[in-house]
Amino acid sequence: MLKLTFRNLAANKARFVMTTFAVVLGVGFVVASFVLSDGLRSSFGDLSDEITVGTDLQVRPVSDFGEPPPLDQDLVDRIASLDGIEVVAGFVSADDNAMQPVKPDGTTISSAGPPQLTFSWVADQGLGSFALVEGTAPDEPREFAMDIDGAEANGFVVGGSYDLVTPIGVVKDATLTATTRFGSDNSTLGAVLMHVSLGEAQRLFGSPGTVDEIGIRLAPDADATAVAAAISGIIPDSGVEIVDQATLNSEQKADFNQGINIIGNVLLGFAIVSLFVSIFIIYNTFSIVLGQRVREMGLLRALGADSRQIRRTVLGEALLVGLFASLIGLIAGVGIARGLIALFEALGASLPDAPTIVALRTVILALVLGVGVTVVSSLVPARAAAGIAPIAALRDGARLGSQSSRRRSLTGAALIGVGLMFGVYGLANPPGTTLALVAVLGLAASLVFVGVSLASHMLARPVARVLGWPIAAGMGTAGRLARENASRNPRRTATTGAALMIGLSLVSTVLIIGESVKSRLGDLLETSVQADYLIVDDSEAGVTSDLAAELAATGQFSAVTGFRYDEARLSGTVSEVVAADLTSLGRLLSLDVRSGAIPSDEAGDVVLLHMDQADELGVVVGDVVPAEFATGTTIDLTVAAIFADDTVIGSPIVPNAVFDSAGSADVHQWVAAALADGMDPDLAQPLIDQIQQRYPQVSIDSAAEFQARFEASIDSALAVVNALLALAVVIALIGIANTLALSVHERTRELGLLRAVGMTRRQVRRMVRWEAALVAMFGAMLGVALGVVFGWGAVTALPVNFADTVTIPIRRITVLVVVAAGAGLLAAWLPARRAGRLDVLKAISHT
Amino acid sequence: MSLLTTNPTATDLVAARAINLTKIYGRGDTEVRALDGIDVEFHQGQFTAIMGPSGSGKSTLMHCLAGLDRITSGSIVIGGTDLTALNERRLTLLRRDRIGFVFQAFNLVPTLTALENITLPMDLAGTKPDPAWLDTVIDTVGLRDRMTHRPSELSGGQQQRVAVARALAGRPELIFADEPTGNLDSTTGAEILSFMRRAVREMEQTIIMVTHDPVAASYADRVVFLVDGTIVDDLVDPTADSVLDAMKRLGN
Repeated sequence: MLKLTFRNLAANKARFVMTTFAVVLGVGFVVASFVLSDGLRSSFGDLSDEITVGTDLQVRPVSDFGEPPPLDQDLVDRIASLDGIEVVAGFVSADDNAMQPVKPDGTTISSAGPPQLTFSWVADQGLGSFALVEGTAPDEPREFAMDIDGAEANGFVVGGSYDLVTPIGVVKDATLTATTRFGSDNSTLGAVLMHVSLGEAQRLFGSPGTVDEIGIRLAPDADATAVAAAISGIIPDSGVEIVDQATLNSEQKADFNQGINIIGNVLLGFAIVSLFVSIFIIYNTFSIVLGQRVREMGLLRALGADSRQIRRTVLGEALLVGLFASLIGLIAGVGIARGLIALFEALGASLPDAPTIVALRTVILALVLGVGVTVVSSLVPARAAAGIAPIAALRDGARLGSQSSRRRSLTGAALIGVGLMFGVYGLANPPGTTLALVAVLGLAASLVFVGVSLASHMLARPVARVLGWPIAAGMGTAGRLARENASRNPRRTATTGAALMIGLSLVSTVLIIGESVKSRLGDLLETSVQADYLIVDDSEAGVTSDLAAELAATGQFSAVTGFRYDEARLSGTVSEVVAADLTSLGRLLSLDVRSGAIPSDEAGDVVLLHMDQADELGVVVGDVVPAEFATGTTIDLTVAAIFADDTVIGSPIVPNAVFDSAGSADVHQWVAAALADGMDPDLAQPLIDQIQQRYPQVSIDSAAEFQARFEASIDSALAVVNALLALAVVIALIGIANTLALSVHERTRELGLLRAVGMTRRQVRRMVRWEAALVAMFGAMLGVALGVVFGWGAVTALPVNFADTVTIPIRRITVLVVVAAGAGLLAAWLPARRAGRLDVLKAISHT
Repeated sequence: MSLLTTNPTATDLVAARAINLTKIYGRGDTEVRALDGIDVEFHQGQFTAIMGPSGSGKSTLMHCLAGLDRITSGSIVIGGTDLTALNERRLTLLRRDRIGFVFQAFNLVPTLTALENITLPMDLAGTKPDPAWLDTVIDTVGLRDRMTHRPSELSGGQQQRVAVARALAGRPELIFADEPTGNLDSTTGAEILSFMRRAVREMEQTIIMVTHDPVAASYADRVVFLVDGTIVDDLVDPTADSVLDAMKRLGN
């Protein structure tokens, strides 16, 4: 029987190529995600070694929560005087994008891409990991250095003078004194790495006389433990820790791996969706091909093969197809991984030279997934084939037996029910980790998909008839036959459509979530925000409080406040705390105060609490809540008001003075401003422009502009997700092409007859193409319907601040269905061409 | 014009004519001359049967005459149109508009009703059938109550009657029938054949039928005998016995 398996495959090569293709793509992406992350992990591991190898010990501030206060710079000299120390240096590093150099063309480097990082220069290359390529290290104020690739890519040259956008405003005419190299091959992942002198770094990003961390290299004969003990003798008892090189290295690796794992897992997720879609295509192919071989199977049975042997032949075929596809997928996956690295490089991320690592685990997983998916998909067709009676050999038009329509629908309905229950349960009681939630929701969605594909054959005929009506009316007989063909085999239409349904349901879920979040933001800006301008730092590094002060000083605004964020421990629980100018606050945000009142900014140590948090803490207006800050300072705050609207801020709000006395950084994350009464926005614009020029890193937006920008950023995030989901849609379209090709083959005689009685080739092609369009539209509409259900579930589960009512982007979803139909037309291009080219005489006598 | 193709109605209008028709399959050693220089005319309003043993070329002749197959040399004229001059599209349109077909089996499109199958060529052309003529045809085949049924709901004989009705419905210049009773029992077959004969006699249709059954051939006005790709005999007003006699003569 094994010989027969091989012969069958050899005879049906073409039919299996497309099936194989679906598996190849799915397996390919699984393999790519592993090869890519293994390669990156290895090269970033090397990079962490390189970064940390020169540092034997590091002294750094530490706190349980919030931002710990920096170290006293004197500590550097005191450590230097200890025995066994070769080099010691203090570091100051800026937040991502805190410093943005202005390019020769007058613009800054986009902060949407890889970050721009600035550090204080440390001459020792072992501690600092940087070497000078050209020029001299920055030493004076208004001097900086940049990594060689960043400088080349953005047109900075040594000796040139450039403006620097910094948290304290624009530094004019700074000199680029040097280009540098990070590690051995400047693997910056596209980040721009800059240096300024320690003094300049303290001026721009920190506070004078402090450092963020101290790096130490020991003398060759020194004992690390002894030196560490000596250091702990001179550092404060709490808030400072000493770590060794091994700890630094593993922290660095973990840091890199976090990013790598995200890339790997995202790829893996889409690969799994693709493989899942492949199941439907493989199932369909096996069913159709076996359906065409019923007589052959019957003959085998008549000649003495038992049903087990028939089943084994079919499963053997599936096994071989799966094995073949997995091996091709393995090779394709390595190619995809290389392609993705090339794509990252093209997008400007310079990756370290990642080795191509095909781990044994990757190979095994590729084979198990590829073969598993193929064999599982062929189980049902194999069982049906095993049930073929010997008499089928003699009967004309014998068909593959199958589950009764009723049982199929009931099974489908049951699966949908269980899937939805899983989904609702998962959303109502979200498990602890994101991975677990994704797993539960993924399982729920898979059950629903399979259920719908089983049950939807009941819908295939009526839906195809309704959708096909305009086609039949507008296209004459070819259109009418397209409609009949799409509804003549409802199960086939349902399974083929289901493959497309999966991709489209996910795409429309994403669109609905995006749209709901957008519309929620619109409502929120309308009801909760009264500010005329919102000033947001795109770099998220925060901006100096000077900006808000300058705005207020113009006298054209009735209220201006910046918002500072920190963490504090309130009655034992760590919570985010916001500081703002309380006098202005009430005129900028609608907090919906339920008890007490927002006091003036001079009210002293007060706090405004959201009602939920007040309940948790068990306090009312007038009670005192102690707040412990990361600096170690504890301040007793009196509850001045309890508010209900947490759309913008739900954290405790304190006056600026509280942050000042706690020692929190004076950096505004965002600023809100309201125009003075009667002030014309057009007249305010020059003022705004002036301030914008001094602080190019922020966007000063009116509420409408802010909304537009936010919506644009959501749209671009949606575009990325949908581009990845396009893979699943492409596989589904291959499935449609495959099914149509098999259907055309199955209907050879009928096509011959149609051609004989006068159907032109063009009419034949049109008939096949429109059948595909109908199948695609059926799948797309099922997908959109499911997408609405999933979207509704997701929006309901989202925190009410993100989205509260389901908004369906009808126009986009309509476009989606129309595009799917168009793609179906296109997918059927080849099968239609083949149908058109059938030799009439051979077709008529085809058996 | 050879002696064999002359017959009493030669002066009537010619529906189809083959001139020095040759059809060769394969090349070199494997070359097969399926049709070897055939000259023949088929007259309007006649029911002609083409007979011959297996491999005689009778089906090939029909396929070539009907524009389903390309010829190697010679020419075929259908009602004044030279088929050799037509491209694929024109041939298809000729089949659709001017020729009717009845095949041995699988005559009907399974997704269409009986009525839709009957009007299929006209629907493909986007023309309306003549309602009075359509009524006549449907009444003649006697399946008025079956018109909304799909082929799978019809018996084999009923399916063939629908096929004949389709061939007649467009009032084509010529109807080709390829073993139309090959899959039917003798009673049902006789019914179809007498129906075809009535179409020729009463409805002035022209039918060319390929068959190997002497009884079927006896329904025709004329029988043309083919052996090894050439016409070897031509009987007018045949009976089953005269056809059998002719076959015996050819067998020797």
